[in-house]
Amino acid sequence: MDPNRTALPFREFSHRISLVFMLTLAAALLLLGRAETYVFDQARQVVTDMAAPLLEVASRPVAAARRVIERTDEYAYVFDENERLRAENARLLEWKERALNLEARVARYEALLNVQIDPSINYISGRAVSDAGGPFVDTVLVNVGRESGAKSGQAVIDTDGLVGRIVSTGPKASRVLLLTDLNSRVPVVIEPAHYKAVLAGDNTDWPRLEYLTNISAISPGDRVVTSGDGGLIPPGLPVGLVIQTSDGNLRVQTFADRGRLDFVRVLQYEFPSRVERQDPPEVLIGPPVSSGSDAAAVAAPASTVTE
Amino acid sequence: MARLDPYSPTPAARAGRVFMIVAPFVMGLVCVLLSFVPFGRIFGSPLTPAFALMAIYYWAIVRPEMFPPFAVFAVGLLFDLLSGGIIGLWAFVYVVTYAVVVSQRVLVVNAPFTVFWFGFLIVATFAGALSWIVVSVFHGMPVPPFSLVQHMVLTVAIFPIFAMIFGRIQTRVLPGS
Repeated sequence: MDPNRTALPFREFSHRISLVFMLTLAAALLLLGRAETYVFDQARQVVTDMAAPLLEVASRPVAAARRVIERTDEYAYVFDENERLRAENARLLEWKERALNLEARVARYEALLNVQIDPSINYISGRAVSDAGGPFVDTVLVNVGRESGAKSGQAVIDTDGLVGRIVSTGPKASRVLLLTDLNSRVPVVIEPAHYKAVLAGDNTDWPRLEYLTNISAISPGDRVVTSGDGGLIPPGLPVGLVIQTSDGNLRVQTFADRGRLDFVRVLQYEFPSRVERQDPPEVLIGPPVSSGSDAAAVAAPASTVTE
Repeated sequence: MARLDPYSPTPAARAGRVFMIVAPFVMGLVCVLLSFVPFGRIFGSPLTPAFALMAIYYWAIVRPEMFPPFAVFAVGLLFDLLSGGIIGLWAFVYVVTYAVVVSQRVLVVNAPFTVFWFGFLIVATFAGALSWIVVSVFHGMPVPPFSLVQHMVLTVAIFPIFAMIFGRIQTRVLPGS
């Protein structure tokens, strides 16, 4: 009797048994994954740390190819771009003058009111080395880990604005939860009305605004920045612009483009939990005052403080 | 008369044999890693196709004995661990999809490529719908399906390229093909 004729049904049988076992195991894993999070978080971090160097190597040619395409685009529109930049430069010079004046005025007011200045924020630079990988998750891996000083909860920005926050860290790599992810919630402020809300990702390109008390005071085009509530993310980071969808809901078009993420900064922000009492200064020293009228305006309250 | 020694394969031949056995599984793992390489950024898009699903479908149809259920489970679990999403989601979806594909493989195993491709369209729709249901149940609300639809459309669109690559590997590397 040919031994292969008996082996074939046995092989099929063992294949079926194995399939049923794996189906059961997969279903059990799906349920266990919600309960036993610590074990899976550890396993996830180990796998992520092992894969991060490979993904970093693989992402370099991708970044190079993108730069080539961008450079080609730039060459094609170099004259138009030059014109646009000249116009923008002229506009920005006007803004610079106004910003310098405002900066000097704010510094004087802060000195008058004895405002506690936010401590400067250190940052770590890194690269986003992976993509989300699936349609239900918006996370990326960055090649900055615990060894570089990254911690869970720290905000991540790129040149355009807030990208997301770190949700887990390993020695070499960290996972960043993007603003568009279903689990992302970031406290924000909508300017200029200064209404607070929570920016909630829902797996679309435009996160929702939740817990907004006065919708009528908000209009499309308003600027959204972080509020700093909760103490994890520093206040004032640019997030995006308010847009109105066709069904009338207010959403946010984020400044950071997840399709073009490359170099990012991890902000090492520590919420000032212990604020020590500061007595008013004996003498107010403001920045150099340019006009005589402004100097007079500052001198009057200064004398009342020192009395 | 000289006696012939019994044939024993060299270490290189053994290594080649092992490689041929595990090649489909290794390709599945490579496909998982490829899913996380940000190819979409070349064109300024965050979209990446489901490379692992292509590998599972191809090998489940062509050589199911070389891509057993535990390999499918391992591929799905690796995807889950790397993606940062629900643990077990893709392990479950891929094993169920594999079971469906293996049970229906006689319909497409010797059919023309268009039928093979159409079969993948149905399988991608099934896997997408199953994953959407599981994620919606876990979050307690229907998840917006737009990014899932884009993901699966892209996956089906580029499937012929990967089927061609897998086909080349199958005919040149694997025994008995």
